Amino acid sequence: MGIPAMMYLWPAARGGSTNVEVEGAIDLKPGRSKTLQVGSKAVIVVRERSGFLAFSAVCTHLGCLVKWDADSKKFLCPCHAAVFDGNGKVVSGPPPAPLEAYVVKEIGDKVYVAPPA
Amino acid sequence: MGFSKVIRSFLDDRFDTKLAGDLINKQVYKRLPPHTGWAHVFGSLALVLFLSQTVTGILLLMYYRPTPDEAHASIQFITGEAKFGWLYRQVHAWGATLMIASVLFHMIRTYFMGAYKKPRELTWVTGVLLFIGTIGFGFTGYLLPWNQVAFWATTVGTDSASKVPYIGDWLQYFLRGGDAVGAETLSRFFVVHVIILPWILLGTVAVHLFLMRLNNLATMERVGEEKPTPRECGIPFFPVHVAKEAVVMVLLVAVLVTLSVVSPWEIGEPANPLMTPPHIKPEWYFLPSYQLLKYFEGSSGALLGILACSVPFALLIFWPFLDRGKERHPRKRPLAVSVGILGLTAAVFLGYLGHISETDVTFFGQKYHITLMGWPEKITGDVGASPPLIDH
Repeated sequence: MGIPAMMYLWPAARGGSTNVEVEGAIDLKPGRSKTLQVGSKAVIVVRERSGFLAFSAVCTHLGCLVKWDADSKKFLCPCHAAVFDGNGKVVSGPPPAPLEAYVVKEIGDKVYVAPPA
Repeated sequence: MGFSKVIRSFLDDRFDTKLAGDLINKQVYKRLPPHTGWAHVFGSLALVLFLSQTVTGILLLMYYRPTPDEAHASIQFITGEAKFGWLYRQVHAWGATLMIASVLFHMIRTYFMGAYKKPRELTWVTGVLLFIGTIGFGFTGYLLPWNQVAFWATTVGTDSASKVPYIGDWLQYFLRGGDAVGAETLSRFFVVHVIILPWILLGTVAVHLFLMRLNNLATMERVGEEKPTPRECGIPFFPVHVAKEAVVMVLLVAVLVTLSVVSPWEIGEPANPLMTPPHIKPEWYFLPSYQLLKYFEGSSGALLGILACSVPFALLIFWPFLDRGKERHPRKRPLAVSVGILGLTAAVFLGYLGHISETDVTFFGQKYHITLMGWPEKITGDVGASPPLIDH
């Protein structure tokens, strides 16, 4: 009884698309960002002059979502004041790891993001 | 033959009603130790609040819908449309906070009066389990309104679980029902809040009360030297102590209704999984842990932080087996009393720091910005708090 009950309670994978189009990405001005859902996770896409960058928006400290500060070109966490640089690396604060980088693909005038392989 | 006599005769024919009556009378008319006073009412207060939470919780369940699409709207419906729904919601929300406070005061009284000592160690252990269960009620119930603060406080709370060594990631995944807080988390928390925890708590309360009545209240005499309270010295449970409890219950109802009217809990903005609001903070009973966790940075720091937050609870459970001295009177237990005062002071101090962190406060006419870590930074001129984050 116990083992089937535990297996039942273990979360079943819901799946969901992991290769997601960033709606309106082409209209995003350089320096601006957009947060969207990829699978069950929030991803932040930043448009730079050189192209698009995408990272998991989930702060590696306690799971709040980071925001992009265009002036300092850094990701800031509103919960515990963590700061990540434009490459997702920890600059200051309590996070134990960098932000997870996502893969960005530009096909024509459309932009897609996907989790790292 | 009157109706009551018919009932009496029916019961007498089937049960040993004299034995049952004697057992009840023994409990009702027993004498309590002479030092029993107003400080001894917090246990009953917590029990009454548990009953109040059960009744108001059942009433709220009539309209509440535990899905991300409907939860927040159903709370709005309860508050704005259902007759007296606002009152039941407020009494339930305030009842939760008062229940935790009552359990805390009850534990503090028991601790400082040495009532956890032999032969009442298991009564204390079940009491600590009730305290943990009550906090569990607070944690799971907090998410149910599905507003921004609840959503992100739960995200942070469940993320802390991932820092537990070896099983942290699994634990977080299991608690959330997936990678992130979502519909499955709401379902899980709902089931734990309205079905699992109430039954566990009810069973534990029954064991706690049984043990308490079995051993009676502790006297202030040394362990092993307790004597039964003579009838002429003891305080009658009924009507003297029951009358005190009745007075406190009436005050409780007055306080609950007053708080519900004067300081109602806001419904807040609906949860937005793509936007974390700035400076989210947990409820007051989680503030000490919230602040303590901030001082542990990096991968090993997170583990140490979880350990630091768990040690007080482990200490509480095992305390009767660690403090084996025979004295109960606080003046004769300087070490235990010092540990208690130190623990309480640390919890209050950390909680206060957590409360004022990332805000501006004024001390003796000087304005300070309290940093994330709780350090005060003098504010000169019109410079305010940390700059707001840039919106998209």
